[in-house]
Amino acid sequence: MRPYLGLLRMSTRRILTYRLNSLILWIGGATFLAGSLAVWHALLSQGAIGGYDWDQMKAYLLVGWATASIGSAYGDWWMASRIFDGHVATDLTKPLDYQWARFSEHMGGLATEFIAIAIAATAIVTFTGGLVVPGPGQALLFAVSFLLVAPLKFTIAYITTMACFWTQNFMGVSWAKDAVVTLFSGALIPLALLPAWLAGPAAVLPFASITATPAALYLGQATGWEALRLLAVQAAWVLVLWWGARLIWRRALRALTVHGG
Amino acid sequence: MRRTLRIYRRSLGAHLRAVLEYEADFWVLIVAGLLFQVLNLIFLSAVFAHVPALNGWSYPEAVLLAGTYGFVNGLGPLFFEGTWRLAGKINHGELDYPLTRPAPVLVQVVSGGIGLHGVGDLIGGGAMIGWGLAHSDIDWSPARIGGGLLLLASSATILLSLIVVGNAASFWVGGNHPVFAMTLIRTGDMAKYPLSIYGVAVRATFTVLVPYAFISFFPASWLLGKESAWIGLLTPLVALYCVYLARLVFRLGLRRYDSAGH
Repeated sequence: MRPYLGLLRMSTRRILTYRLNSLILWIGGATFLAGSLAVWHALLSQGAIGGYDWDQMKAYLLVGWATASIGSAYGDWWMASRIFDGHVATDLTKPLDYQWARFSEHMGGLATEFIAIAIAATAIVTFTGGLVVPGPGQALLFAVSFLLVAPLKFTIAYITTMACFWTQNFMGVSWAKDAVVTLFSGALIPLALLPAWLAGPAAVLPFASITATPAALYLGQATGWEALRLLAVQAAWVLVLWWGARLIWRRALRALTVHGG
Repeated sequence: MRRTLRIYRRSLGAHLRAVLEYEADFWVLIVAGLLFQVLNLIFLSAVFAHVPALNGWSYPEAVLLAGTYGFVNGLGPLFFEGTWRLAGKINHGELDYPLTRPAPVLVQVVSGGIGLHGVGDLIGGGAMIGWGLAHSDIDWSPARIGGGLLLLASSATILLSLIVVGNAASFWVGGNHPVFAMTLIRTGDMAKYPLSIYGVAVRATFTVLVPYAFISFFPASWLLGKESAWIGLLTPLVALYCVYLARLVFRLGLRRYDSAGH
């Protein structure tokens, strides 16, 4: 356990070393959130769309933005560059489980990300006049599902990054993943507003658990058994992808080529 | 000037050949670029299925606007991708090499890479422009066509200059990643939508301080004959100013460069 906690602390520190960088990135994320709020404010000025009025959409956008910011602090880029330059070979000689080690690094960014999310939420409440608040039961359900987003996003990023064992360029792979996740998680637009040919795949893919599930719990669109079912689906995806990643890892190692050393 | 252009072309060509060595990456990058334009289209079509117009902009007009922004954005990775590696070069002290070579430093930096995802942006954005133009009500004349092309070239110049300005900020910000440029260009994504939906502070900022609005909104407004369309004709002037600004900022930054101590 201790070495993994060490990795977690190290990755937090690595992010804090470049404080100005982190700050500028936060500002970029915040302007993105402000931009989507402005777009939806204009769209909803003539009335609700697909059951979302302005108050609900505000909360939805905040949840969508928060779930998108989690685990975005470069963990997958570090892993990718270590695979490309061959440093992964030294990682393999360490008496650590590779997947758990990367997971620890991924979690190291969370502390700073939670602060960013808290600041954004405060700003929204201050500047746009309040935010829908769920009851205690729904709040608890939301909190659980929000916490599950972190491991879920890790497994998706981890599996995607393993593509680096076969390709020479991570950027395209990472962007393609981002595009797919943005669309099918509901971060682009609530899944209910998608045309049927996209809503169908969105319902069966794991990505809906990233944004649509926490948002539905926060807004009280899913209550009682339905809420528990959504949480169970989310947890099931975490487990399936976690063990699926181990299977892919075994094959990926066989594709690894490191020159010199 | 001709020599500089030749250096630029040869340097870019060398990077293109290098990138083309990896066929799988080639396709992954193009598809990734295309996917982002498709996302924009899906967002617009899903939204316009529920509302008839966005602040007076119809669906085809909004597609034209987003397509223009996407198309212009595709030129950056294709022709200016090396700029994004400036932060890493400063951080590692690798700017020493271009400084010792007998060619303009900016040209060497700018041509130091090529991003094929730009092809996906060009295809996706170009298709959206074509569809938007075909379905919008435009009063075509030779002057309108020539003006439209001039404005497109100007808006591309503005975006490429902003990329240089943002990345040259790495001389002051430090760090391995061009975070300032990423934030500067990502904020510009708000210009995908009609500027009139934003508050007065954003409109003023995007027009005067950082001219994102001249990348797509004002040129498209001129083409479509929207309210205060004449502002679109200022785009070439704004482009000239941005080129001047980019050169100035890069020069000032270069003077601060102190290598990394090998």
